[in-house]
Amino acid sequence: MARSVTINPPKMCQPMGAILAYMGVHGCVPLVHGSQGCSTYPRYNIARHFRESAEVAVSSLAEDAAVYGGAKNLTEAIKNVKSRINPALIGICTTCMSETIGDDVKLISKKAIAPDDTMKIIPASTPSYVGTHLTGYDNAMRALVETLAVKGKPNNKINIITGIINPGDIREIKNMLRIMNVKNIFLSDISETLDTPIMPGGHKPLLPDGGTEPADIIDSANSLGTIAICRTAGSAATYLQNKFKVPAVLAPAPIGVVNNDRFVQNISKLSGAPIPDEIKKDRGRLIDSMVDVHHYMYGRKVAIFGDPDIVSAIVRFCAEAGMNPTVAMTATKHKDFAPDIKAVNTEYKTDTQILEGTDLYEFHKVVEAQGAELILGNSKGKDVADDEGVPLVRFGFPVYDRVGVYRYSIMGYNGSIYLLDQMTNAILDHKYDPNKLHQ
Amino acid sequence: MTTILPECDIPIPQRKPHIVCHEPGNMVLPMCNVQTVPGDMTERGCTFAGCRGVVGGPVKDAIQLVHGPIGCAYYTWGTRRNLSDTKLHRKYCFSTDLTEESVIYGGAKKLLNSIIESHELFPEGKAVFVYSTCVVGLIGDDTDAICKQAQEKIGIPVIPFHCEGFRGVSQSLGHHIANRTLFEKVVGTEEPEETTPYDMCIVGEFNIDGDAWIVKPLFERMGVRVLSVFTGNASYSDIPPMHRAKLNIVQCQRSSTYIAKMIQDKYGVPYINVSLFGMAQTAEALRDVGKFFHLEENAEKVIAEELALYQSRIDHYRKKLEGKKCFIYQGAPRAWHWMEPMRELGIETILTATTFGHKDDYEKIMEKAKPGHICIDNPNALEIEEYLVKLKPDFFIGGLKEKYLTYKLGIPFINGHSYEEGPYAGFEGFVNFAKDIDVAVNSPVWKFINQPLEVK
Repeated sequence: MARSVTINPPKMCQPMGAILAYMGVHGCVPLVHGSQGCSTYPRYNIARHFRESAEVAVSSLAEDAAVYGGAKNLTEAIKNVKSRINPALIGICTTCMSETIGDDVKLISKKAIAPDDTMKIIPASTPSYVGTHLTGYDNAMRALVETLAVKGKPNNKINIITGIINPGDIREIKNMLRIMNVKNIFLSDISETLDTPIMPGGHKPLLPDGGTEPADIIDSANSLGTIAICRTAGSAATYLQNKFKVPAVLAPAPIGVVNNDRFVQNISKLSGAPIPDEIKKDRGRLIDSMVDVHHYMYGRKVAIFGDPDIVSAIVRFCAEAGMNPTVAMTATKHKDFAPDIKAVNTEYKTDTQILEGTDLYEFHKVVEAQGAELILGNSKGKDVADDEGVPLVRFGFPVYDRVGVYRYSIMGYNGSIYLLDQMTNAILDHKYDPNKLHQ
Repeated sequence: MTTILPECDIPIPQRKPHIVCHEPGNMVLPMCNVQTVPGDMTERGCTFAGCRGVVGGPVKDAIQLVHGPIGCAYYTWGTRRNLSDTKLHRKYCFSTDLTEESVIYGGAKKLLNSIIESHELFPEGKAVFVYSTCVVGLIGDDTDAICKQAQEKIGIPVIPFHCEGFRGVSQSLGHHIANRTLFEKVVGTEEPEETTPYDMCIVGEFNIDGDAWIVKPLFERMGVRVLSVFTGNASYSDIPPMHRAKLNIVQCQRSSTYIAKMIQDKYGVPYINVSLFGMAQTAEALRDVGKFFHLEENAEKVIAEELALYQSRIDHYRKKLEGKKCFIYQGAPRAWHWMEPMRELGIETILTATTFGHKDDYEKIMEKAKPGHICIDNPNALEIEEYLVKLKPDFFIGGLKEKYLTYKLGIPFINGHSYEEGPYAGFEGFVNFAKDIDVAVNSPVWKFINQPLEVK
């Protein structure tokens, strides 16, 4: 992309991702060290995607901080969060503002509480002018592990770093681990914290139930291995490997046949657990679902945008199902994105155009040139799909113009079935005379 | 004493002056428009939000270019429901997407190129609005000079807004900056093609979910010519001739009185405050405008027509809502705009709160409040939860960030920022508003809140 101006970017800034990582930890209050918009905008985004409230503190930096630094505000913010909520953790994310004025967040936060305080402060450096929301997630997750993980006795568990995926995805992956009888630590786990029930009498805890216990993050140094579902969130895995010799597995996201096989094999290898029949049957149902729809889906042109790990995994799955992925686009650059898709191109003789570090304006131009009968992406793809007169199957974050997307999984064998059914039904709705659908 | 310290604020007693309980004859206003207590879980946004999101953003044929790292542009892309009849301003998001390199070496060149490219790619853009975010103010890009240079090159107005998020205490300063910038750089730069004795601007009407499409025709039917709406569904070209109005009416009196006052001071155009919500207030606004233009009979005719169409439907909802109690928490003016309309539905507002209200907003609230009414300035999440639990209103009119918290507590909710199924303004809009309240309060979904699952 030779432009200076970015038009319709499907990417957000680091604090957004960092807040999501922190929100998956039980008793953790995210604290944004910056201007008030830097907490309010991500909160808004979380509310509209998950249809849940997200309580986030902010140090409310103002003009005086630009001159004198933000230490006073951050110190006060930490004290106020502690005295009112007394959380187990405060997860700090920095911003453009605090990074540019050069606040030493580690030092300030250390001074803000007593050395023997039971509350821990996680300092993540997440300036918005570096990377994207995924960088922020990765930085916060690494900060959590770096601050908390301590070597102890082996725990016979597997760490799963989720990255930015949905509560439904996490539940499905947990289900697979349960079937395989593999104990686990999720880093982190928004499956309950951002999908909360309404309970009798409207009683709710101050901070949501669920999430990864801080004790489990401490214990993550003692696991059999770490699997990063999203490689963009993998630096905590690498840290655990380098520091505590916990093997890190950075592999494609479990979407489609081969990527799920690899995921299950990795779990089996790390844990020594055999692959149970129930998993094999789920796999068989995925293949059955692909066989059932291959007449409808063969050669269907699909254009996909989103976060790199998910997009490249979906590209492979679409190719497995006989579809024709014409465009694969991600705004966040990642070293594995292009090689993943080139490998699919070689294997399936497809010709997927790779767009990396670009925007939806560019995506749209390439979709126009390459053609698409289906767009896959988040709610920001609506206009491209409408302009092209094709359906949009929604996945990823944020999806705010449909309900429930966060509830369902597109991962695991079962989630892949769901994704394929969504794609097929969109094609059936859009392309088929109802008479042609009688069998 | 009429100030209160809720339980959640015991560790931060500095919140006490911000929360008052109304006592007749002893009007105490909450402390307001001051810095937020750091870490208090505020709902406030930033100056950029007020400028880009609220006032500048609705101008439908301006290229809305955010100068800064990506987040600020993304989060204001098509979010606030400020509708228009063309697509440019909600469909497209323009950003200089500054990275570390620009933070070190400056973002001037990237900004200049971005303006030129945006213009080339979107010639339908009649102006470029350039919004500075935090980092731009800190690294010191001379956006005025760059915008001037760009304007000379591309031949359409390029307007810099100095709305760095860290300026001020809330969104409020951003409104002021947008008003002042548009007044100083745009108003008066062109004369209207023609003027009539009945030219009026509707100021502070952002066409949320189509509000302007409801209220503008009311005045037109009276024989008033609406010269501009500032800035709902506005074209850039609607702003320059605002100084030739004979009258400005101001709906959002927090975000936009500034420009009405500046136009009054410089051009002698008077302005009047209006509340275009509810039957009585809307009728009063029409009468005030009618009186100004000596179109009283026309105003009465329009009011009568509207009441004939909609009053029976309001009466219908009143029967279903009479005796209910609500909270209203809005940016500022809608908290007091809606207190009287709620009474038209038989509903009493027992708590109001505003994110960025000033003294005049709280005066207007207190004038309307009954004894015991609680009023909170810049409430935070914990205070909101505590009062919802303690006072158990029948419903809460707030913003999206509070919506799901309220639901979890088993309390019905209406999104007053973007609306549920608006528009809410004017007579017809008030029927939508009443309907949404009825839906919220009387839906059967709430009955399960008090039906726990037990073995029988």
